[in-house]
Amino acid sequence: MSKSLRVRLLAIASAAVFVALAAAWFAMMLLFERHIERRVALELEREGRQLVANLSLDETGRPHLERVPTDSRFDEPASGVYWQVSTARGDLRSRSLWDEALRVTDGASAREWAMRIATGPLERELLFVERVVQPDPTGVRVLVQVAHEIASLRTARAEFGRELALFLSLLWLILIAAAWVQVELGLRPLVRVREELRSLQRSPRERLSREHPREIDPLARAINELADARERDLDRARRRAVDLAHALKTPLAALAAQSRRAREQGALEASDGLDRAIAAASAAVESELSRSRVATIAGAPRSSSVNARDAVEGVVAVIERTEDAACVVFEIDVPDLLPIPIAQEDLVELMGAILENAARYARRLVRIRGDVSSHHACLRVEDDGPGIDADSTARALARGGRIDEAGPGHGLGLAIARDLAEATGGTITLDRSELGGLLVNMKWAVTQAV
Amino acid sequence: MRALIVEDEPTVATDLRLALDGAGFVVDVAQDGEDAWFKGGVEDYDVAVLDLGLPRLDGLSVLKRWRGAERMFPVLILSARSDWTEKVAGIEAGADDYLSKPFEMGELIARVRALVRRAAGRASSTITVGRLVLDTHRMSAMYAGRPIRLSQLEFRFLDYLAHQSKRAVSAGELAEHLYGAAEPGDSNAIEALVVRVRRKLGMEAIQTRRGFGYVLADDGP
Repeated sequence: MSKSLRVRLLAIASAAVFVALAAAWFAMMLLFERHIERRVALELEREGRQLVANLSLDETGRPHLERVPTDSRFDEPASGVYWQVSTARGDLRSRSLWDEALRVTDGASAREWAMRIATGPLERELLFVERVVQPDPTGVRVLVQVAHEIASLRTARAEFGRELALFLSLLWLILIAAAWVQVELGLRPLVRVREELRSLQRSPRERLSREHPREIDPLARAINELADARERDLDRARRRAVDLAHALKTPLAALAAQSRRAREQGALEASDGLDRAIAAASAAVESELSRSRVATIAGAPRSSSVNARDAVEGVVAVIERTEDAACVVFEIDVPDLLPIPIAQEDLVELMGAILENAARYARRLVRIRGDVSSHHACLRVEDDGPGIDADSTARALARGGRIDEAGPGHGLGLAIARDLAEATGGTITLDRSELGGLLVNMKWAVTQAV
Repeated sequence: MRALIVEDEPTVATDLRLALDGAGFVVDVAQDGEDAWFKGGVEDYDVAVLDLGLPRLDGLSVLKRWRGAERMFPVLILSARSDWTEKVAGIEAGADDYLSKPFEMGELIARVRALVRRAAGRASSTITVGRLVLDTHRMSAMYAGRPIRLSQLEFRFLDYLAHQSKRAVSAGELAEHLYGAAEPGDSNAIEALVVRVRRKLGMEAIQTRRGFGYVLADDGP
């Protein structure tokens, strides 16, 4: 059996329909045959009654007809339609019999017209309708026979059979087409499940919708539960990694304190080694934290818009307190809401990384602009600092890259911002600002709200 | 100078105590949030170093309670987390500065000194011009009865204008005062600064005298 559900359903449907139609063909042929035999028999009986009505016996006891049947087929030789009236003394026959005679039998009933099939003249099979009558009081028995050749009925039946077969074949094709449509419509919910699964693969936060037919629903529900379980596991693993990273920070600070004390007591070599180990561990912790953050964002539910102004103002309030920004003014021109598919706290992280960098290099002014067109939502951060050249641009955006190796921070800065932007489907480009410094341009495609 | 250290990790707490001690502070240490809330509530400190991850009561709640109870000494937040959301939450809760762990002890001492200098270097006084009240001790401002959060630069700008008794001050003079020496292009920054302060106080708070410069509105409280 084929592995395709579609092929299997179609094969079963077409076979079943074929069997049903073949049975119908046989039944209809049988019915048709009986029907035309009955029709012909009735016609023959009517002719027989005409014969009886015009029948009398002459004095010799031979049959005599006042009027012979008018149907022209009775006059045409071997036309296939015959009549014969016979007594013991003699008989009358239709001209169509020519010099042949219908065989006289004894079996005919005196009470009703009887029908039988027997061989007649020219060895042809005939349908007989016959009866014995007694036209006068003498009680002479007269056998009245009317016959019709079977062959012409057979021809009609065969013709009907062929036409019926053709029609039923056509019907079969139509029913197969209908079955195909039914199978396609029936399988469509599965196609939808497949499409939804594809988006589930892309984003672990996606789920199958709840509007499936009753038969598919348990499957969709099971898949959703599986996805929930997977997401919980992922979340747990991620949270553990973050917790571990955070938990390591305080002991690292404690270790740094020990190292400082060791240095004060003259253990310079040990202290140098410790410091190197602490720096390596800190770097590992920071990179793990940033990686987990990007992963969290990539899987986070997206709202269609974000309160950009609050995010920027919040970050600026922090940076304004740092020494780097003691002389820097932040010119903020950002609308309250921007249609960026990013969570509020992720935008805060993104702007934090970029604005901290901008404040570090700015001389007097950091300008933050947000705007939205029909296709894009943009956030631009520029400063009036020294700016960077094209070579440094690539380095600045590479993970761990830093424009100024002497600056504080953890060596992530713009690279973290790029990861954050890309995790939410945005892009970051660096350019020269008209203020003289660096222009960081963040851009997201605007998705039309559904 | 009295400093309060709130840190539950004993090694880090000891290290901080020794370092601040060496920098000339009289140091108290609180090991958990409840203790910190109590000490900060009853003692007069010049500065507090507050760890956010604390047993019994977390650091942000301690800070909010202090500020709610008008305990306005400068606070430097220490946190194992380095995310901006927490920094923003800390500053919004009333912190004055922020350091993430692991930190350089030298940087911490420098920041603590800067916080203390900012607050203590001035006489405790207020200047009132129109609806604006500047508290030079806390480096804070009220406008029309509403507390306004200002950056250092914004405060220095308003402080300078407030001391000019209705004299219009040019952008060049402001740049010279704020940045030490004026350079070409500074007027853009001064304009941006005026826009920013106006947005915080209200459009009418700073008036522009065309050809002369800026002056604080003095329309009475």
